[in-house]
Amino acid sequence: MSTIDPGMESLMEAFIYETTTLLEQLDEIMLESEKERNISGDNINEIFRIMHTIKGSAAMMGFTGISNMAHSVEDVFYIIRENPSYLDMVCDAVFDLVFQASDFLKQEIENVQGEDYQENDPTPIIQRLEQQAAIMKGEEAAPKEQVDASADSISDVPQIEGGNVHYIRVKFEDGCQMENIRAFALVNQVKDLCEELKTVPENPEKDASLCEEIVQNGFLLIVKPHNSIDEIEKVVETALNVQSYEIEQPPALEQPKSEAVEQPVMEEQPPVSIAKQEAEKPKSQPQPAAPKVNAKQSLISVNQSKLDHLMDLVGELVTAESIVASNPDLKGQRLDNFTKSIRELRKLTDELQDVVMSIRMVPLNGTFQKMNRIVRDMCKKLGKRVDLVTEGGETEVDKTINDAIADPFMHMIRNSMDHGIESVEERIASGKSEVGQIKLSARNAGGEILIDIADDGQGLDTHKLLQKARNNGLLVKAESDYTDKEIFHLIMLPGFSTNEQVTEFSGRGVGMDVVRKNVEKVGGSISIDSTKGKGTTFTIKIPLTLAIMDGMDISVGDTTFTIPITSIKQSFKITDGSQVFFNTDGKEMIMLRGECYPIVRLHELFQIPTEITDLQSGIMIQVESSNNIFCIFADELIGEQQVVVKPFPPFFNKYGLKDSGLSGCTILGDGNISLIIDVRNLVSDR
Amino acid sequence: MAEVNQNENKVMDDLSSQFLTFYIDDAIYGIPLADVIEIINIQNITTIPNVPAYIKGITNLRGKVVPVLDVHLKMNKMETEYNDKTCIIVVDIHEMQIGLVVDSVSEVITLTKEQMAAPPKNDEYGYSQFLDSIVEMNGKIILNIDFDKFFKNDLSEI
Repeated sequence: MSTIDPGMESLMEAFIYETTTLLEQLDEIMLESEKERNISGDNINEIFRIMHTIKGSAAMMGFTGISNMAHSVEDVFYIIRENPSYLDMVCDAVFDLVFQASDFLKQEIENVQGEDYQENDPTPIIQRLEQQAAIMKGEEAAPKEQVDASADSISDVPQIEGGNVHYIRVKFEDGCQMENIRAFALVNQVKDLCEELKTVPENPEKDASLCEEIVQNGFLLIVKPHNSIDEIEKVVETALNVQSYEIEQPPALEQPKSEAVEQPVMEEQPPVSIAKQEAEKPKSQPQPAAPKVNAKQSLISVNQSKLDHLMDLVGELVTAESIVASNPDLKGQRLDNFTKSIRELRKLTDELQDVVMSIRMVPLNGTFQKMNRIVRDMCKKLGKRVDLVTEGGETEVDKTINDAIADPFMHMIRNSMDHGIESVEERIASGKSEVGQIKLSARNAGGEILIDIADDGQGLDTHKLLQKARNNGLLVKAESDYTDKEIFHLIMLPGFSTNEQVTEFSGRGVGMDVVRKNVEKVGGSISIDSTKGKGTTFTIKIPLTLAIMDGMDISVGDTTFTIPITSIKQSFKITDGSQVFFNTDGKEMIMLRGECYPIVRLHELFQIPTEITDLQSGIMIQVESSNNIFCIFADELIGEQQVVVKPFPPFFNKYGLKDSGLSGCTILGDGNISLIIDVRNLVSDR
Repeated sequence: MAEVNQNENKVMDDLSSQFLTFYIDDAIYGIPLADVIEIINIQNITTIPNVPAYIKGITNLRGKVVPVLDVHLKMNKMETEYNDKTCIIVVDIHEMQIGLVVDSVSEVITLTKEQMAAPPKNDEYGYSQFLDSIVEMNGKIILNIDFDKFFKNDLSEI
């Protein structure tokens, strides 16, 4: 299966989507269960259902590897479902194996999406799963230590609950060949007449080696007919190649179950011994599919590119609306009705935009959940004990942002696990609880989302960091000039890695600089806070959404700038020159209601020629970013406008416009381009 | 994907021997027509702070934000006033659209490989740093620009 038929593409998409979702569900259940070291009945059924669905759809798509893997996990859970107490015997192994299986499946799903799909061999994991199954069954089938790999799921002899159950043993004609296929054909014929139908061996069509067994023991049909058994008898009687058949008594209950495949049932034994000790216990349906009836949800899944397109269109619409509303042809005219209509239009586009935006919002839960998995795996590998606490997972972010931060998250969690949290011994020695904690918390703050990744590990060592930076030639000023915060930020420089040894998890040549880059790609930023011995906190700030925002347009010389409305506190004209003074290092400051704030002259900062340099003839805009408040001096206010944020062309990447306080640009109503000011970075160097 | 590329290649074959020529001062330069997206009149350019002088800024090309470079300044020549002959040639370089300000656009010519001569190795003006070839045609000298060399500094780190 190296290529996929183009006609299958939409099916393929659905398959990938469905399977991915199911696997995420599986991980969630397994993690939860592992914590309790038990799997609740509901969860067993759920896992069973997940695996069954994956098996089915993978088989349909022709991915036998995926299907087989799902099948063997399903088998294990079939046994567990029958008798949950067996789980205790193999608990750890089963958890590990299921996680491995889940990883394998995820990898396969990823590979399937690649160009040349080569199936990986699931056999090693399947074999181990089968071993576990055998261990569990070992209790019942005493003499059998191991189940042969080909045993498949036959070893479980099915049983049908309730009355009116008949056992029909069919013998095929001697030497008629392909007994298994004939048995399968017979099953198909009888199927419609039965309420329930089970066979021994199960699924005869799957394995030609079953022929021998069928020849020796006959083919057992366990049926619960709709009407009367006579109908079925008639079908069996007339079926091709059937030599004889007999109706048998249901087997005695206390008989130990035997392995049907490897150990042909002895003549003197009752035909099949289905009994298990718990035979009286209510059993599940013979067809293990029996999916939980899902509450009907009216959800549809949409291709993300369509949503992106929709978003773009709404952006264009907003721009077009501004073009109409501020059309130069209308200047100076009194247009009461027009203004009213425009206002109406504006209301609608606003609403439309909100809706489109909300469609694209997804909660962070999913991403947080994945981190659980990483923490779990790393705990095992590193021999550390760490609890992951998540908070605010319901916070919603734009899908693009959500996707973009998953990797940085993973990396930071790995970093915290590997470098941050100490080993159990060290933790005890320093008087900490032996179980470390990593806290992932998200919260909304204005137009931004703040996500903390906090560990209670050893914290960052400023001396070591400085030394390392010195060795790598990353220092740009005297060491004593570095504040703690600046030192922490050194770790995000390219070519910096504090751990001497490269480990499996943290040292793949990707450092914190990549994390920073990824976060910045979606307009976010990272700050670090750390206390030696107490732990480290990374705070990621990301915009709620990327595309559209309310902005105030201002002009400086010939250039138009847009300041996000959310960062503006007020704008005013200076009427009294005595408000302005210079502080000791020559910076212009302004006194407002007893507080003084620095003044940032945009024309100086960006070297734009303008005639308005006198503070009293221009306009002051007081802005606030998360860490400080200052006043921007510009020529004049143009007006408020909704703008569609466009990133700078990649051509400008090397000039670090983001760091100089420009987050992007936007096309104005008149077709000109305005530069969007990022208040946060405008004065970061001050 | 492969199919699309093939189709593109076919079209490129037809265009590959054609060059768009333009004037910078009195010299004629040529660029491969296949790389040219369109030619527009000089329009409003928004300056970008903290970038080299030859990057004039960005302009709005039907909703797309396109960086604009002044070829004069890029070649370390004196800046000239823009007039009604000044054009912006929008080119596609490594899937990036870039606008080039030139004095005026001349014509589209067809050149064969045989007509093209290698640029001089050691010229005092440093032309060979960005030239692909030199062609003499009807008594005029046409200098063909190699974009990869021309934008060497701009394309790094992208």
